[in-house]
Amino acid sequence: MIELIADRILWNWWSPVWLVVVVIAIAYGRIFGWKSAARTAWLTTGLAVLVFAFVSPLGVLADGFLFSAHMIQHLLLLLVVPLCLVLSLPMPESGAWPRFSATGGLRQRLSKPAFGWLLGLGAMWFWHVPAFCNAATESYGLGVLRSASFLLAGIVFWWPIYSPSKVSRLPAGNAVVYLFSACLGCTLLGIYITFTTITVCPAFVSPEQRLAMMIALNDAGMTSSVDQQLGGLLMWVPPCSLYILAILSVLCRWYSPENVPSAAVPAQTMVES
Amino acid sequence: MSGASAEPSEQSSLKDPGMGRLLSWVSTVDHKKVGILYICTALVFLGIGGLEALLLRVQLLFPNNTFLSPDLFNQMFTMHGTTMVFLVGMPVLVGFQNYFVPLMIGARDVAFPRLNAMSYWLLPCGGILLYFSFMTGQAPDAGWFSYAPLSTKPYNLMPAQDYWIVGLICLGIGSVAAAINIFVTVLQCRAPGMSLQRVPLFVWMSLMTAILTILALPALNAALAMLMIDRLLGAAFFEPARGGSAVLWQHYFWVFGHPEVYILILPAFGMISEVIPVFSRKPIYGYAFVAGSSAVIVLLSYGVWAHHMFAVGLGMGADMFFAVGTLLIALPTGLKIFNWTATMWGGSIRLTTSMMFAVAFLLEFVIGGLTGVMFAAVPIDWQLTDTYFVVGHFHYVLIGGTVFGLFSATYYWFPKMTGRLLSERLGKWQLWLWVFGLNATFLSQHVLGVMGMPRRVYTYADNPGWMALNAVAGLGAVAMGAGTVVLLFNVGISLRRGERSGDNPWGGFTLEWATSSPPPPENFDVIPRVESRRPVWDLEHPDSPDAKLEQTPADKGWRPDKSLTSVWAFVASEAVFFLLLLVSYVVFNTEQTGEITSASVLDVTRTGFFSIALLGSSFTLWRAEFSLKAGRVAAFRKWLVLTIALGSIFIGGQAIEYYGLISSDVTIDDNLFTATFFTVTGFHGLHVIVGLIALSILLGLAVKQDRNVLSGTVLKAVGVYWHFVDVVWIAVFCIIYLGFLQ
Repeated sequence: MIELIADRILWNWWSPVWLVVVVIAIAYGRIFGWKSAARTAWLTTGLAVLVFAFVSPLGVLADGFLFSAHMIQHLLLLLVVPLCLVLSLPMPESGAWPRFSATGGLRQRLSKPAFGWLLGLGAMWFWHVPAFCNAATESYGLGVLRSASFLLAGIVFWWPIYSPSKVSRLPAGNAVVYLFSACLGCTLLGIYITFTTITVCPAFVSPEQRLAMMIALNDAGMTSSVDQQLGGLLMWVPPCSLYILAILSVLCRWYSPENVPSAAVPAQTMVES
Repeated sequence: MSGASAEPSEQSSLKDPGMGRLLSWVSTVDHKKVGILYICTALVFLGIGGLEALLLRVQLLFPNNTFLSPDLFNQMFTMHGTTMVFLVGMPVLVGFQNYFVPLMIGARDVAFPRLNAMSYWLLPCGGILLYFSFMTGQAPDAGWFSYAPLSTKPYNLMPAQDYWIVGLICLGIGSVAAAINIFVTVLQCRAPGMSLQRVPLFVWMSLMTAILTILALPALNAALAMLMIDRLLGAAFFEPARGGSAVLWQHYFWVFGHPEVYILILPAFGMISEVIPVFSRKPIYGYAFVAGSSAVIVLLSYGVWAHHMFAVGLGMGADMFFAVGTLLIALPTGLKIFNWTATMWGGSIRLTTSMMFAVAFLLEFVIGGLTGVMFAAVPIDWQLTDTYFVVGHFHYVLIGGTVFGLFSATYYWFPKMTGRLLSERLGKWQLWLWVFGLNATFLSQHVLGVMGMPRRVYTYADNPGWMALNAVAGLGAVAMGAGTVVLLFNVGISLRRGERSGDNPWGGFTLEWATSSPPPPENFDVIPRVESRRPVWDLEHPDSPDAKLEQTPADKGWRPDKSLTSVWAFVASEAVFFLLLLVSYVVFNTEQTGEITSASVLDVTRTGFFSIALLGSSFTLWRAEFSLKAGRVAAFRKWLVLTIALGSIFIGGQAIEYYGLISSDVTIDDNLFTATFFTVTGFHGLHVIVGLIALSILLGLAVKQDRNVLSGTVLKAVGVYWHFVDVVWIAVFCIIYLGFLQ
């Protein structure tokens, strides 16, 4: 029996995400301080998007009602929030990142592009295997795990492109290949979700509860197959647009006179490929 | 041009006075001569394709005309389109790239001169195959994009369509080979000091075109292979009546077809990016934007193919996203118009024929571009698709853009290629004939399209105004034909009596002007120092070099290995090919029905066993590389032999599997499962066999102590290919045998 829920609880004000946001903000202030307006803006944007992804109706609809809303939440968590967080990190003083010198092994691993690429794309593909997608939608614990893995994978994914330390950034040519192949990866998944006859996440098709507005949406033509098609297209086009913007920024960096080598530039960035 | 070939030893073997000159062209591997061969071959096909266009225009001169039969009309527009795209547009651009990319980067030749000659000779081969179809009594008639099911056997019984397929596969292989060559040349052969941020824009655009070609052509090749299997072996990929999908053909064709548009236009962007600065006496305005935005075009062009399919019924969601993507791609394209205009702004402009063609490019291309943006709006597309509005639109892009860019480049570079100037007076005649012809023909077609005249229909009813507009269009076509005759005449007399040009008649900026006209076989005696984007300007104006005004990222000396770069480019191309074949498997086998399914006929355990042999061969090859690196030649040979043995075991296993299936009457024409199964595993098996041949050749050379093989790079290159084939098999095994994605 499907249970109908009134629309007044479309906002999830008591989401535990606030806790995460507060912890991140305090930790950031403690470790890096609020020194630059631009970086503070990046952090604020990132945290605001994070809150938006869970507290707004988007977060509520993503929780087992609308596949396309789930997809938007997924993209915000995997791509937008991590990007903002990485950009909010301050540039280290002398090439390497002194605070992390104790965890040199981790830093090296983070800057290995294959690692970031596999984790970023892997998170995308893994959580859309029908069984896992279903389980994570139905179980609260798995859902939290999924969101956390998105955030982490996203940070590792963006690291070789926007790492605050220039040493761990990929050379321009490799960065373009990295981003373009990532675009290809999500294009394939997007095409598959858009055109397949399989239901990627059955939990959304036969939910146990139903929002009243879902009936209106359904009547307006937003059937579950249209919903999935939209989800696939969201998986396909917006991430690729974001990757292409990132490629543009990499190219800007590459063409900028800053790239003119001088003695001050660390030796590793001299290797262009 | 002196009859010089690349190798001195080849030259001495061509003593025969009668055959020498001809043979020196046939056997040439010099990039300049190969370039000229490309351009001349394209000119021949331009004549043929142009003639076909004129026949079409004659047929459409009056309503209810019977000059061409409906069948012949279909053949003419199919051959006109195919010829102009594959036998004129692509080859002539590749010809210019061949000639000028090495010169502009200060190289002695392209990276692989012999491969270059092969790429060229595939062009006449493909062209002749395509035109040979006339001998069978009928030319291909399914349109240049050969939509299924019209192109499948039930609707198209004649062998002409098969000639079309084989011809295009031939041309496709040649194009990919040429593109890999240009790609490696630009990355590897640049003169010292020329960082990638300093290459002339024509070189940059050639690099971008090469990437597009490498990644887009395999989509066409995959579709052609499937269509050929449909037609010759009785499969049904594209036959809806037997469960296939005609829409899949459209998807595959346009995954190739839309990047193809940019393959045809980006080099023209490069050409006018050379011409406009030189004739404005200014550096290009916003070099980084022009170059960077072209890279963005390359990436975006793969994401907008479905805007050719708005009328198919993909669903509102898909239409919306592709409409937005299409609007987006107009940005990097359209904004460049401002770069070129701003380059002219305040410059000291010389209106030579070359410059006038470049300016005409700006004006006419904008019209073609704007109507293109109109088509991004889905309802407008629905209204105007398959009318003459579309024909008008893309001819503005391809003539106003590509052809005018080419004419501009012809007048600009002819002196470099021959040492003589083309006549400016005849050039202006040609210019005005073409400007008039283009607008007369295709502006009236825009109007006809809005009035509802459908394209590809052999005649029309006597509707008010249609005949007058078609007559204007016919007149325009005649003017363009006359303009072409003027060009040929101009080339003919200028070759003999043209004014001597000297090395740098226009005051050009880039390295091709630093050598003699025509350049000697070795291109340069001394390569000037490259410290900016305009080395020849720096050379001629030592007091105000560019480096003083603007710093550009310096060359850090990075040049990738030739064989490794080329094999990676090749593997990328092959990956797209297999990807599309695997996609077709997933599309057709998500839900299998009938008696013959993957579960009922495949022996997963046995194939799993043979798969281990194949994967093991990757390990042994890695050990072989390792031994060679460590200098243990005997161990290297042992591992190589083991690799070949394991690969052969895999192929043997596949032969057993095929034999078992075929003897129990499971064949490629049974259903879509067998069609996709045999296609994917068959092509993979072919690749394994090619790899085995390459490894055996390596082994033979290693036994003969060949220096190249023992140096290790060749083995590494073959290794990349072999590992790639294994990775493909992992995907094939997971999807077909283990049933992932089902």
